Amino acid sequence: MNGHEVIVADRPLRECNQDIRDGIDRGLAVRVIDTRSRHNLGIGLPSGARIHFEGSVGYYCGGLNNGASIRVSRNAGWAAGEAMASGDITIDGYAGVSLGASMRGGLIHVKGDAGPRCGVAMKGGDIIVEGKIGYLSGFMAHAGRIIALGGADEACADSLWGGEVWVAGPIASLGVDSKTEEPADDEIQEIETLLATRGLDDASRAWQKIVSAQRLWHFESRDASAWLMI
Amino acid sequence: MCGIAGRILPGPGRVGDELVKLMHAQRHRGADSTGFALYGEPLDTGYIVRAMVAHRHELSQVLELFLDLLRAHGSDFLADPSWDEATTDHVSVRMVIREPNSLGDWIRQVDEHSDRIEVQSVGRSLEIVKDLGGAIEVAEKHRVHDFIGTHGLGHARMATESEVSPTASHPFWARPFADVAIVHNGQITDYFTWRARLERKGYRFMTGNDSELLAVWISDRMSQGETQDDALIRSLTEIDGVFTFLYSTLDRLGFAKDRWAIKPLVAVIGEQSLSIATEEQAVRTVHLDEIEVVNFDGPSLTRTWQTNVSLDRAA
Repeated sequence: MNGHEVIVADRPLRECNQDIRDGIDRGLAVRVIDTRSRHNLGIGLPSGARIHFEGSVGYYCGGLNNGASIRVSRNAGWAAGEAMASGDITIDGYAGVSLGASMRGGLIHVKGDAGPRCGVAMKGGDIIVEGKIGYLSGFMAHAGRIIALGGADEACADSLWGGEVWVAGPIASLGVDSKTEEPADDEIQEIETLLATRGLDDASRAWQKIVSAQRLWHFESRDASAWLMI
Repeated sequence: MCGIAGRILPGPGRVGDELVKLMHAQRHRGADSTGFALYGEPLDTGYIVRAMVAHRHELSQVLELFLDLLRAHGSDFLADPSWDEATTDHVSVRMVIREPNSLGDWIRQVDEHSDRIEVQSVGRSLEIVKDLGGAIEVAEKHRVHDFIGTHGLGHARMATESEVSPTASHPFWARPFADVAIVHNGQITDYFTWRARLERKGYRFMTGNDSELLAVWISDRMSQGETQDDALIRSLTEIDGVFTFLYSTLDRLGFAKDRWAIKPLVAVIGEQSLSIATEEQAVRTVHLDEIEVVNFDGPSLTRTWQTNVSLDRAA
C-alpha cells in the first residue's frame, strides 16, 4: 500500500490531525475520508506533503499551509488556507467565507464559487476561482492576486490597499477605493500563464483588472468624502 | 459568538433528539447556556405554559399564586403541573391551562411577579426549555431527547451583551404572541432605540437581551398584517447590527441575515424537511452522508419554510 488513510467521522480532532501527520512523516500520500465538514483539518502541513480530503471540510482547512499540496473533493467551510505561506490547495466545490484570509504565498484554486470576503487581508500568493467571488472579495488585501473567471458580487475589492483582483465576467459593483485599470498585454500573458498551470488558459477572455485607487492610503482632509463612504 | 439551529421534520417525530445533536455539535460556540424551542402536537384547546420558578422551596406557594392569577382571567389548570426534580434552586415548570380571556392582559399581570415566576413560553404547541450548561446536560435535565414534535429551534449561548442566567438564555418567546420563538446569533446595535419604541406600544421585556427584542419586533410587524417573509425582509434595513436569527411560529420557520454577512448559516433543504444551523458540521450530525448543503453566506438574506404541523387541529 502506498497511501495512508485517515477516517475522521466523530473522532477527536487532535487524533485525526496526528494521524494525518503520521502518514506525512512516513512520506505517504494521505487520503482523509468521512470528513463530515469538521473544522481545523490539516493545519500547518509541511512542504512535500500530499493530502486529499474526500468530502466536505469545515473551517480553516489547510490553514498555515507551509508547502503541502492539499485537495478537497467537495466544499470547504470558512477561511480555508488561512495565513498559508506556500504550497497549494485545490477545492473542487464551493469555498466558504474568507477563503485564503491573510495568506502570504502559495496558490488556492477553487473550481466552484467562493463566498464573501475571499482573500480578505491577503498579503501574497494567488487565488484562482473558476466561478464567482462573493461580496466584499479582496477586502483590505495588501498584496497578491485574486483571479475570478465567473464574475464578482457586490463591493468587489473594497478598501483594497494593494495587490490585484482580476475578473472575467460581470462585476456587480466595485467597493470603496478601488478602480479598474486597463491591463497591459504582458500582464494578461502572465495571468494566462498561471492559469495554464491549471489547464484554465483561454485567450478570448475579457479581463478587468482592479487595483487600489489609493485615496485611503493617507488621510487628507480634502478626501474626507472618500472616508465617509466607508 | 453563539450557535443556532432549526429543524423541520416531515411529520411528528423525535425533533428533540435531533435538536440536541445539532446543538451538541455546536457546543464550542457557547457554553454559558443551552435552550430549545420545541413544537409538539398542538392542543385543540388551551395553552402549554413553560415557566421558571426562582426558588424551589417556594414552588407550592408560587403555583397557588399562579392559579389565582389564572382564575382571575377566566382560566384554570387543565392538568396537574409538572416540574423537574433536579437539585438546582430554580425550577422549570410545565403547565397546561385553559385560554385566559386575554392572553396579553393575563401575562402582563403574571409578569408583575417575574422575580418569583417567569413565564418562558405560551402556546398551543410551543414549549421553551432552557438552562445553564451544555446541550446534553440541559437535554437530560429537561427530557428533551424524548420530545416528539414537528419542528423546533436550538441555541448555545456565549453571552456578550447581557447577564448569564437560566432566564436570560435563548430561545426567547415573543411576549405575548402565542407559539412564537426566536434564536439569534449576533448583536443589535440600535437595541435601546427599538426597545423604547416597542415599550411605548405596550410591549414588555423580561431581559436586557437584544434577541428578545427581535422576536417582538418581527411579531409586531406581523400583527400589523405583514407576512413573516415581509417582516424578515424589513428587518434587514430597519434593524442595525450584525445578526443571523431564526424565527418560528406554529406553521412557519424562517431566518434573516444582516447586510454585512458576518454570521454564518447553512442548511440541508428537503422537500418537506429542513436542517439549518450556524455550522455545517452540525447539520452533518443529522445527515451523516455527503449531502447538498446550502451556504447562506451572502449579505441581506431571508427565507421561510412551511412546517408540517397539522393546522386543521390547531385552527
